[in-house]
Amino acid sequence: MAQLSVRHLLGIKNLNETDIHTILDTAAQFKEVINRPIKKVPSLRDITIANVFFENSTRTRLSFELAEKRLSADVVNFSASGSSVTKGETLLDTVNNILAMKVDMIVMRHSSPGAAHYLSTRIPANVVNAGDGTHEHPTQALLDAFSMREKLGDLRGKKIAIIGDILHSRVALSNIFCLQKLGAEVMVCGPTTLIPKYLPELGVKVGHDVKAALRWCDVANVLRIQLERQQIKYFPSLREYSLYFGIDKAMLDELDREIVLMHPGPINRGVELSSDAADSAHSIILNQVENGVAVRMAVLFLLAQQ
Amino acid sequence: MNTLLRAVKIVDKHSPWNGQVRDVLLQGGRIVRIGEALDADGAEIREGKGWCVSPGWMDMRIASRDPGYEHEEDLDSVRRVAARGGFTEIMLLPNSKPVVDAKDTLNYVRQPRPGQPVRVHVAAAVTRKAEGVDFTEMIDLHHAGAVAFTDGEVPIQNADILLKALLYLRPLDSLLINRPEDRQLTLFGQMNEGITSTLLGLKGMPALGEEMMLSRDLKLLAYATEKVGPVNQGNDENSGRNALPQLHVSLVSTARAVSLIREAKAQGLPVSCDVAAHQLAYDDSALMNFDTNLKVNPPFRSPADIAALREGLADGTIDIFVSDHSPHAEENKNVEFDQADFGITALETAFSLALMHSGLTIEDIVEKITANPRRILRLPHVIISENQPANLTIFSPDEEWTFDKSLSKSRNSPFLGSKLPGRVIGVVNEDAQLWGT
Repeated sequence: MAQLSVRHLLGIKNLNETDIHTILDTAAQFKEVINRPIKKVPSLRDITIANVFFENSTRTRLSFELAEKRLSADVVNFSASGSSVTKGETLLDTVNNILAMKVDMIVMRHSSPGAAHYLSTRIPANVVNAGDGTHEHPTQALLDAFSMREKLGDLRGKKIAIIGDILHSRVALSNIFCLQKLGAEVMVCGPTTLIPKYLPELGVKVGHDVKAALRWCDVANVLRIQLERQQIKYFPSLREYSLYFGIDKAMLDELDREIVLMHPGPINRGVELSSDAADSAHSIILNQVENGVAVRMAVLFLLAQQ
Repeated sequence: MNTLLRAVKIVDKHSPWNGQVRDVLLQGGRIVRIGEALDADGAEIREGKGWCVSPGWMDMRIASRDPGYEHEEDLDSVRRVAARGGFTEIMLLPNSKPVVDAKDTLNYVRQPRPGQPVRVHVAAAVTRKAEGVDFTEMIDLHHAGAVAFTDGEVPIQNADILLKALLYLRPLDSLLINRPEDRQLTLFGQMNEGITSTLLGLKGMPALGEEMMLSRDLKLLAYATEKVGPVNQGNDENSGRNALPQLHVSLVSTARAVSLIREAKAQGLPVSCDVAAHQLAYDDSALMNFDTNLKVNPPFRSPADIAALREGLADGTIDIFVSDHSPHAEENKNVEFDQADFGITALETAFSLALMHSGLTIEDIVEKITANPRRILRLPHVIISENQPANLTIFSPDEEWTFDKSLSKSRNSPFLGSKLPGRVIGVVNEDAQLWGT
């Protein structure tokens, strides 16, 4: 039975290439399971999982919850609004209270980079990072890699452009780590102010011309423009962003070959992606969502074996 | 109480006995004799292999927690921690709650504690509540005993405030201390900006933030120093001082900042600076595990910055080592990284870290924690000589010790549990002594 080298999924940074392949291969089996008439397996029947979300999320939380239920785990959900957190309770106290009710695994989303790492060094349960601030979002990167692999086969030598707000994106960072470990070439593209200065040190190409990036790549992974995280001004307006960094179907049609279009959601239609691009045949955005459940089942299943 | 320090090596560049192994006899809080094989004559004998004695150490950057945050450190505990670190004189920053911006708080913090070997000096705030807006009554605070002026943990952002403070303090011959940080460039910053901050998704504080503010501060200092026209020469003479503004740049951390100060000194500007001893101990790659005990401001920088700090220490650009002791309660450190406070409890380890990481001789390190801070703060010079007040630190530089327990009320040190070089044996400050903590 394949095993991971880690007890927690904190980030792609902490995984090796074998771990990633193990997760993706296991996910392929679970994808087959969730397409059966009976979508459920008893793998995690004795396991209780708490989804602890200190930040808003619809898709990721739902995806984890479905993954857990399809593995027959018992599931409890906690979200920060209306909880004791607003009364000033610390993260550790909140989670220890949940663990005292005999919970085995914690899936956590939190606004602080390193929050999952912090927790993993202080509690006995397995921790799955469902996004920690601007740091990592490992299951998103894994489901992105899974979706690309499904479409393109082996990712070695494939060219992936990540387009948009790279600076504030945990998806970008996890994607970069994951794709590089799988042997793909990565370019990031966006306004200069939204690209971390030191990123080229990771061996990532940096571009500022979306059309050039589209011509270069096999896959364009377009990121959401996160206005809510930008307490500092990084660009003048959504209008200008959309005009110079947004992608529409005409741009995709101009290319001399078909590329794959991805987006981690939720899409700001008309900002980073036009509706006709998002809904085009290039887009595998809904496949990503479907694969998300299978990938999260694989992660939870493999960690529970540890 | 009479004490005989038996066969101790004297470490004091300003003493005629520097570098010599001698007996030192203390009587009535003074050094009465220095010689060989002195008769103890009933005095308590203190001796040990490899012991050195230097003027009592002075630390001019300690965050004050009393009044306001006594659960983190109070005026008694900070003295105990300082003594254990080998310091006989310390200067507290004004950032207590309330801030030391008026005589009542100043007098509270300055209250002497008879019988304790650590003397506390206080820097008063430049602006009320250290908010950077309205000036404190600096002349009044100066006469009430404030030894320097600074907004302490809060860097002065407004150029005009800094300039006016330099000018206003000039006739008093009092020091203005500022830590250079442009807070617009470091807004929400958590650590040094670099590849590590990129990997961790943490907002970086670029070296530029320190360097731009330092350039500005040095330009303001040059402006405040300029004398216009021959008529004005000597106009300040009746103050009886050299009447230059004095700027002390606290917590230099980047290579470019070291060069800026080196250039400013070469141009003759009245500037001095310090570095925190722990700044030499880590580069920013040490933060890969999100250890909040490594969260300091200025942040740990790059290996090249550390090399430049060592050069600056060696060539005298950096005058002083400080501890930048910043105690924090457990609940402000054992939290998510971006929620944690900046700072470490550093008094007990500052000398060891300087010894370990600076590359300086013991004599040069001692100079930067004795004569230099006292000269820059205009405090009385302390010298190891006969018929001088006994203000001494006794230490054993070759001896290792384990930092297994802190005397601080806080525990935020990354060095707890570490084995460190250079053990402090005891401190003497006139009638008060403390040995073997």
